[in-house]
Amino acid sequence: MTEPEQAPKVPRRIGVVVCQCGGNISDYVDTEKVRAEIAKDPDVVSSRVEMFACSDAAQQASVQEIREKKLDGLVVCSCSPKLHLATFRAMSARAGLNPYEYTQVNIREQCSWAHTHDREGATGKALRLVRAGVAHTEGTEPLQRIRVETIPQVLVIGAGVAGLRLALALSDMGLSVHLVEKSDHAGGNVARWGTLFPSDRSGEEVTGQLIEEVRGRQNIQLYLRSELVEKSGRVGAFSVRIRTGTGDTIPLTVGAIVVATGFEPYQPAQGEFGYGLEGVVTLPELKEMLAKEPRSLTYHGKEVRTIVYVYCVGSRLPEGEGVQRTYCSRYCCSATSHVSTTLNSVHPELHQFHLFRDIRTYGRYESLYEGARRAGSVFLRYGEEDPPEVSRDDQGLLVRLKDRLMAGEPVEIRPDLVVLVTGMAPRPNEELNRVLKLPIGTDGFYREIHVKLRPVETVVDGVFIVGTAQGPKNVAESVASSLAAGSKTGALLLRGHVELDPQVARVDPTLCTWCGECQAACPYGAIDRVLYGDKEVAQVSPVLCKGEGGCVSACPKQAVSVLGYTHSQITAMIDALAREEA
Amino acid sequence: MKVDTRLLDRVSSGPEFDAKLCLNCGTCTALCPLGLEILPRKIFHHVLLGDKERLLAEENAIFSCLLCRMCEVNCPGGVHIAENVRALRVYLNEEIHGLAEV
Repeated sequence: MTEPEQAPKVPRRIGVVVCQCGGNISDYVDTEKVRAEIAKDPDVVSSRVEMFACSDAAQQASVQEIREKKLDGLVVCSCSPKLHLATFRAMSARAGLNPYEYTQVNIREQCSWAHTHDREGATGKALRLVRAGVAHTEGTEPLQRIRVETIPQVLVIGAGVAGLRLALALSDMGLSVHLVEKSDHAGGNVARWGTLFPSDRSGEEVTGQLIEEVRGRQNIQLYLRSELVEKSGRVGAFSVRIRTGTGDTIPLTVGAIVVATGFEPYQPAQGEFGYGLEGVVTLPELKEMLAKEPRSLTYHGKEVRTIVYVYCVGSRLPEGEGVQRTYCSRYCCSATSHVSTTLNSVHPELHQFHLFRDIRTYGRYESLYEGARRAGSVFLRYGEEDPPEVSRDDQGLLVRLKDRLMAGEPVEIRPDLVVLVTGMAPRPNEELNRVLKLPIGTDGFYREIHVKLRPVETVVDGVFIVGTAQGPKNVAESVASSLAAGSKTGALLLRGHVELDPQVARVDPTLCTWCGECQAACPYGAIDRVLYGDKEVAQVSPVLCKGEGGCVSACPKQAVSVLGYTHSQITAMIDALAREEA
Repeated sequence: MKVDTRLLDRVSSGPEFDAKLCLNCGTCTALCPLGLEILPRKIFHHVLLGDKERLLAEENAIFSCLLCRMCEVNCPGGVHIAENVRALRVYLNEEIHGLAEV
């Protein structure tokens, strides 16, 4: 193999730590051999093996070594950077070493865990990876995080219960809120629903109180019949345009955007469990009926004596084409238990049959299920493979089911009203999705970064998702998530500035001849055409760039590179990986 | 089987009949010292759906019950099983055998 051309090497002072991970690595990789081999590299001035490189004691030793040996680069060979990149960068910073002069080499997931049958092979691979890590570090340069100012204003999209509550929380923190609602009234789904579980307060009362409070705040502006139509900029300073009902567009600059667009009730197809037949309604339709007429229970003028509820309509379906409705909608079992108890308290003679698959009145809502049974509801279980059939003949509605408790024996019920307990479906939000480009899950709801640890953040910095826009939730859960987003937004904006990752693209204007390929490849609009002397070249805005590198591979002149992953670094790493021992 | 709510209305007219609380767990069946498999959850289920025919077919079981309450004290649904069996006996005596209340 011929040696590739290289820029004259500047000698470096690199330290290497090889971690045993308490046997996770050293059981299958000869860590001492890896250390001894890499120590031969002239740029490596110190090398150690540690039982746990991430332990307090080992970190202390590394800090000391960086200081005493005046290291200008560090390589830790341990686990995945996902686990400890941030740990060792912070450790480097404590020792006075620029954190971007630190390189993590993953010899656990990629060597010891992957090759448990082959100690020699795993050791050889670890050595190649470490050499590549050192080669990468030889090309590092100190980088400073990019500090940018933030605007203390927030755009909240959707004025349902989650958006309203969030607006108040942000207002409490002294942030200005632009609350944008597509329809002509605030309050969302909840406002139409009559009494809510478990408090028995009406949805109108709950949202009405929030709306009144929102209207009284100086720093909340509510825009009805309005939509977000344009977004550019970056975390801390997004430029957005709102189109109002009159057709005007209002330009705003906001530090963060929160999507609280909610859900739409699942709409059964014609004929799905008899939907479309007279006397077959959905749960939200029943709730609206009762909200309008709380005392009497009639349908088309006829008194209702028997109700059949069919659970899990539009939820927990088998996997299929398109949007997946395999999820449980969470709120429906509790809501139905609650509504039937409420009905029985007003109409004790009413018969109610609940045809369910599994009852999921989790947590404290278990008492709603017991309450419904105590009040007189009868629960009958059906199997997923034998769904109930709803039809209508000359005697009226007829529901047939195979009763699981009676070994699948057919049971016929003649109700006056069939209520399809429909779940939550994602809103299509086509215009909004075009503007925001947020990731959407297979279920059609917006997707968070981490379901447990970062539940309201998205992959777009400064854009948060809350409430049922993210997936089925009841009112309490929606409000909890909106308050979570409130605190995340506050943490982001109240400091007055944010720090961005400096590993962004950079154009070498001496090589660039402006062809526009990089600009076309950039999904963030981070590349502008500027004059360099008398020629046109590309220029990257470091605050818009995410360092994703699409421009790098698009450039025919190799004039763009991402800092921390330059062409010379990548080439040096490949050479190190491929180098055969003498 | 056609659901007929009249039986339910008749049997459950008193406050003591609370079989709707039954969770269908089967603890009662497992604990019954007489091994009355049909009692109580299945019989209650027949009543809840208004299946008079099945109820009558299990009359022996209803009258064999010792009312020992082994099931009742262990019922996770808190069903007053013995009271419910009594309610069924009253119903059978009055409605089927024509025995008037003394």
